[in-house]
Amino acid sequence: MLLGASSQQEGNTVDLRGVTDKGVVTGVEHEGALSDLVEALLDGDADLERARRRASAIMGEQKCADALTVACAFNGITRVADATGIPLDESTAAATVEMRAETAIDAFDYGNKSARLGV
Amino acid sequence: MTDLYAATDVPLRDNLREAHATSLQMIAAPGSHWTGAERVAIAEETRIAQDCPLCAERKAALSPFSVSGEHAATDTLPAAAVDAVRRLATDPGRLTRQWFESIVEVLGAPKYVELVSVANSMIIIDSQHRAAGLPPPALPAAQPGEPDGAVNEGAVDRGAWVPISAGEDTVSATGLPGVPNIVRSMGLVPGAVALFFNTFRPHYALKDIALDISQAQAEFVASRVSAHNECFY
Repeated sequence: MLLGASSQQEGNTVDLRGVTDKGVVTGVEHEGALSDLVEALLDGDADLERARRRASAIMGEQKCADALTVACAFNGITRVADATGIPLDESTAAATVEMRAETAIDAFDYGNKSARLGV
Repeated sequence: MTDLYAATDVPLRDNLREAHATSLQMIAAPGSHWTGAERVAIAEETRIAQDCPLCAERKAALSPFSVSGEHAATDTLPAAAVDAVRRLATDPGRLTRQWFESIVEVLGAPKYVELVSVANSMIIIDSQHRAAGLPPPALPAAQPGEPDGAVNEGAVDRGAWVPISAGEDTVSATGLPGVPNIVRSMGLVPGAVALFFNTFRPHYALKDIALDISQAQAEFVASRVSAHNECFY
């Protein structure tokens, strides 16, 4: 939702399926480097330094650092959402029916997890 | 104040450096429902979780609840708190309401909410250290004192697992909520909100982000992390 809205404001359109399907190009500038940074940060065994050098060469050192800064924040706040089971905001839920279907994000819905995981 | 990131050449913003140093001190101080020693122990459990064999076995299983075994209490924390932090740190996308209810039955919702804030603040700080090529910072020495017991009596049931802050459901010009539920999610314990967002705020903004990357690039990164962590919200 936020990705779609911010891209529109910047005069671009994005293919939101690329959020959950790495085979789909979203259209966000430097998305390959950004994805690699995220994966390297979240995979504890990954060579993050190598990913950072590669991304810095493509997009510059400050942008690379800033992208990782955002990733670190969401590595925390996603867990807050998961731990508190908050529902989507009403306006977001209404505006994202199609997007959630396209990206298969509904599979992560908190209401379905107990049944899916057996507790 | 100590600069936790003095040893890195990665260009980090001054407000982030200051906020993280402050957050570590906030973790070490008595909260509303946990002592300083307990809060530091919660922070430490997020690190112990990374090498926990039971957590690894649960993470590898089709359902984490199909694996037998339990986390033991420590000298400082009850078993329910240890289990909550370790699952939160290693497999957050597969927490369930039924599991949550079993934890809250022991801890109570205010303690749970404060635990979530402390653990996730520490996860952000440790993630940022990894991103800067640094080892995790030393945990602070716990400060003496008792929890103040503060609870937001105005917290409301909005369909989340815990009561959240009340607020107007305004919608901005972009169609986004004025105050998203995630901002209200820990509103049962005001100190939990203060700690978490002191840590989080320098990293991100919903609009006009004060970083060199564009808002769309920031949202792309956020979305990729959310997908990786299997976060529905």
